[in-house]
Amino acid sequence: MSSSTAAKQYKALGEDVWKNKVEKINAELFTLTYGSLVVQLIKDYEDYAEVNKQLDKMGYNIGQRLIEDFLARSNIGRCTEFRETADVISKVGFKMFLNITPNITNWTPDFKEFSLLLEENPLAEFVELPDDAVEGGLWYSNILCGVLRGALEMVQMQVEATFITDTVRGDETTELRVKLIRFLEEEVPVGED
Amino acid sequence: MSIDINCIAVIGKQNNPLYIKNYSSSHPDLKYHYIAHTAIDVIEERVLNNPKLTDAYLGLLYAMEDLAVYGFMTNTRVKIILVIAVTDNVVKDADIKAIFTKVHSAYVSHVCNPFHNLDQDFVASKRFSNAVDHIGQQNSRATIDV
Repeated sequence: MSSSTAAKQYKALGEDVWKNKVEKINAELFTLTYGSLVVQLIKDYEDYAEVNKQLDKMGYNIGQRLIEDFLARSNIGRCTEFRETADVISKVGFKMFLNITPNITNWTPDFKEFSLLLEENPLAEFVELPDDAVEGGLWYSNILCGVLRGALEMVQMQVEATFITDTVRGDETTELRVKLIRFLEEEVPVGED
Repeated sequence: MSIDINCIAVIGKQNNPLYIKNYSSSHPDLKYHYIAHTAIDVIEERVLNNPKLTDAYLGLLYAMEDLAVYGFMTNTRVKIILVIAVTDNVVKDADIKAIFTKVHSAYVSHVCNPFHNLDQDFVASKRFSNAVDHIGQQNSRATIDV
């Protein structure tokens, strides 16, 4: 099946880029840095919804720049449909930057929305949210939502990314929902006739 | 391995108790608080007398009627106290060291939590409690002998 060979291709590409073309840093340093960032934001804004928004904004800025780096290193061409985009995000994007490959599930029938199930989250290693953060609705890894939004906008896709569940809050899984709003171009969007 | 762990205690660098958990049913919790305090004194005495002490594992600190107290101090002056019931079996140093290393790892994982306030008195994280309970109970459950 062409989709599974494409999937394998992306997987192999992701592994190859991770092994050879990216510089790595210590995982604990990264986790602690992100952790202190979130804690500082909480201290500064004192409102968990606002912290979520700020994380998303920061992620958005990162995503806009990250996509250039991604395209340069992976040499991937244009995706023909949103399903391919999802595959690329999971097997090449996440692999390259976080060395994880989240599972893609829960496609809507029109293939415009999907979920990413993260089995492990390097941003949230060792993290345990205090009760008032859970009640306040903090999404600890919300920066990832911003990154996806920013990166995909630069490749002409407007998406909405939100967290549904997060193990750091005590849920069973960590699920990120990505919804395609529209393609940002004048002509007929790819995938629609 | 048939070590019967009665109590695991973690003491902070200002000798403030961070976590004390009693696993035995034979003595009340307060007794272990006293034991932990005495242990701190013994550790300080040892450290004062041996300034060249480099090993984190301090060995047997002292023994009471039916209890033996072992100590472990990190370079950040966080102390871990282990109280075990004295049995006829010879207790190997290596086993005790292994237990201390496990508790230390649990402590390190807890400290890496960015929401943990380092000035806080009690280590109230569920994950740390579960990890230490697992260590404590795993060892006490291992004594199925007569």
